[in-house]
Amino acid sequence: MAAEPAKMVEVQGITRRFGDFVAVDQVSFDVMAGEIFGFLGPNGAGKTTLIRMLTTLLKPTGGGARVAGVEVTENPDAVRRAIGVVPQALTSDLDLTGRENMDIYGRFYGIGAAERRERTAMLLELVNLTGRADELVAAYSGGMRRRLEIARGLVHRPRLLFLDEPTIGLDPQSRRLVWRFIDEMRQSERMTIFLTTHYMEEAEALCDRIAIIDNGRIIAMGTQEELKAEVAGSDVVTLRLAPPVAPVLARLADLPFVHKVTEEEGEARVALDHGAEHLPQVIGEVAAAGGTVLAATIHELSLEDVFIHFTGKSIRQEETRKVSFLVGAGIPQKWGR
Amino acid sequence: MVRMLAVIDRDLKKFRRNPLVVGMSVLMPLLYLVILGNSFQGKLRHLPLAVVDLDPGPSSRRLVENLSALESGALEILAMTRVADQQQAVAGVAAGTFKGALVIPPRFSKRRAVAARPEVGLFLDNSDNISADALRGAVQGAVNAIPDEHIAIRESNVAVHVRDVNLYPKVDYFQSLVPGVVIMAIFLGALTTGAFNLVMDRFLGVDESYLLTPLTKTDIVGGLIVSGLFITTTMAFVIFVASMWITGIPLAHWLSRTPMVLLIVVLTTLGLQSLMFFILGQFHHPRIVGILSGFLNVILFFPSGAVYPIASFPGWLRGFARFNPEAYAVHALKAVLFKGAGLMTIAGDILFLLVFTAIMLVLAVVTFQRAE
Repeated sequence: MAAEPAKMVEVQGITRRFGDFVAVDQVSFDVMAGEIFGFLGPNGAGKTTLIRMLTTLLKPTGGGARVAGVEVTENPDAVRRAIGVVPQALTSDLDLTGRENMDIYGRFYGIGAAERRERTAMLLELVNLTGRADELVAAYSGGMRRRLEIARGLVHRPRLLFLDEPTIGLDPQSRRLVWRFIDEMRQSERMTIFLTTHYMEEAEALCDRIAIIDNGRIIAMGTQEELKAEVAGSDVVTLRLAPPVAPVLARLADLPFVHKVTEEEGEARVALDHGAEHLPQVIGEVAAAGGTVLAATIHELSLEDVFIHFTGKSIRQEETRKVSFLVGAGIPQKWGR
Repeated sequence: MVRMLAVIDRDLKKFRRNPLVVGMSVLMPLLYLVILGNSFQGKLRHLPLAVVDLDPGPSSRRLVENLSALESGALEILAMTRVADQQQAVAGVAAGTFKGALVIPPRFSKRRAVAARPEVGLFLDNSDNISADALRGAVQGAVNAIPDEHIAIRESNVAVHVRDVNLYPKVDYFQSLVPGVVIMAIFLGALTTGAFNLVMDRFLGVDESYLLTPLTKTDIVGGLIVSGLFITTTMAFVIFVASMWITGIPLAHWLSRTPMVLLIVVLTTLGLQSLMFFILGQFHHPRIVGILSGFLNVILFFPSGAVYPIASFPGWLRGFARFNPEAYAVHALKAVLFKGAGLMTIAGDILFLLVFTAIMLVLAVVTFQRAE
């Protein structure tokens, strides 16, 4: 077995165009061995296109990438042998049982029968599917299917696991269950994990390092602490205001402990230090400016705030805009297909 | 090889768990045999003819007797209805009740006796040329036979006689369709297995489950073709046996020819599976398969000689048939089934199918793209 490279993924200026549309634009980053690296961005930001290039399904139109020490376009077969992939779409065969899906996949990797049986049993146990292993996948719920596919992606002991939106479409309970599996598997399998997500809490819960991607470009990258450090203020106070709003925003921005004030759909977001301590003064200043506070919340700086800081909009707002754009342009969800 | 076997196993398991697909795949070619065999049997039967006899004389009686003989004879070419009124008979032709109306005029027998240019009128629905020609021929035969008052015990020494010598056992039209039905089953099998499963996997988005593994292009293409070969060959053989039973061909009579039939079926299936992979392997939507299936069936099946002899085609279509694998398959199957031909007799067909399969297989693997 080849020695583990220090960098499991090395991406340099990778670009993918579909006609005039640039889905991924000059993206560069590294993923170190053993870490969970997350790509955070709204739908349509280029996450899946990027993952499809790194897993050999899509050829880059510019730049390059090495995965597990191998150039993806030069030796895709070696890349496929080294990685496990859980695609965003559910790809398990509905006409096969959970166990058969695992077994067939193991055979695709040339794993012997005894090892396949042992590995399948262990992984199905890990994802809580042992009791349903011999049922057809057609009878599984979305969450069960997702867990099966994560287990299937591990059947050949990959050194690097790609998870493309691993909890998309799952209810909160199933989502937390999947997070737990990912964390357990990372520890038991000692692998590097590359995941994409548009859920802030997922990135916060799982990732050692995060890259924020928007419109095909990386706009920020680092640990959660590093990313948060780029945003001034330790807390965010959100105020729902009755008109007039403009003079209130101007007055709040002049306060010495306030770093940034933004307004979105009638709500003011105030980035400040020591939010709990300064909240009464903030409310007082609103009244002094002739405004009225209808509701106020305070929370510690989150990735959502980091995303807003770098993009000027929340991820939910961005998703709505992207979906409208895609529908309006008649562009298929799977680019180029 | 281990990986290719996994692809084959996956495909066969999925097929087995869809009994409706299995049932339809076997049933449809058999329905084709029954429907085509009964609706297009080469010789026409029971053509409705109205007869208006306005001359109750000996010659008209003789003519009607001859028509009755045609009606109740082995060929049953016409179904005669006596009608009293000429206008009613012609109106029946116009309305589609009859394909023709024969009017025997008054004094027909007398004119015939005195050789005064006797005539009968035949009103035909010539919008249906095939039926009209058949009725004209039948009525002309009945008219020609009026003078035969007795059956000669010896053949005429003057007339020239043609002696038919059948080299092979009699094959009726229904039975002659069996090779075509088997080839049709192979075509449908090749269309709905192999490459079609790849298109469906792409459409459902499950193709990534194997495109992301170390399976080679040969593993994927070869595995799907081999599983399709197994399914299609099995189906074709079941249909072969069933169609022999339906058409009344004694099974025991053909058992000795089974290995040759299997060889032709396997080679034809491989050739068509590879052709389908080459054509359909580029597409991502099953609707394309639906659109192409009718077209491919027409351009492959009808110029194959399964229904009509290739020698009767116009030159350009005969030229196309030279490259049509189904034409070679039909020719080989007919030779084996109906003439008892050996391997040497069909060596040319086998060689063509081998070369065709090899070329298509290479094209299928080369043109199959796993990365976009």
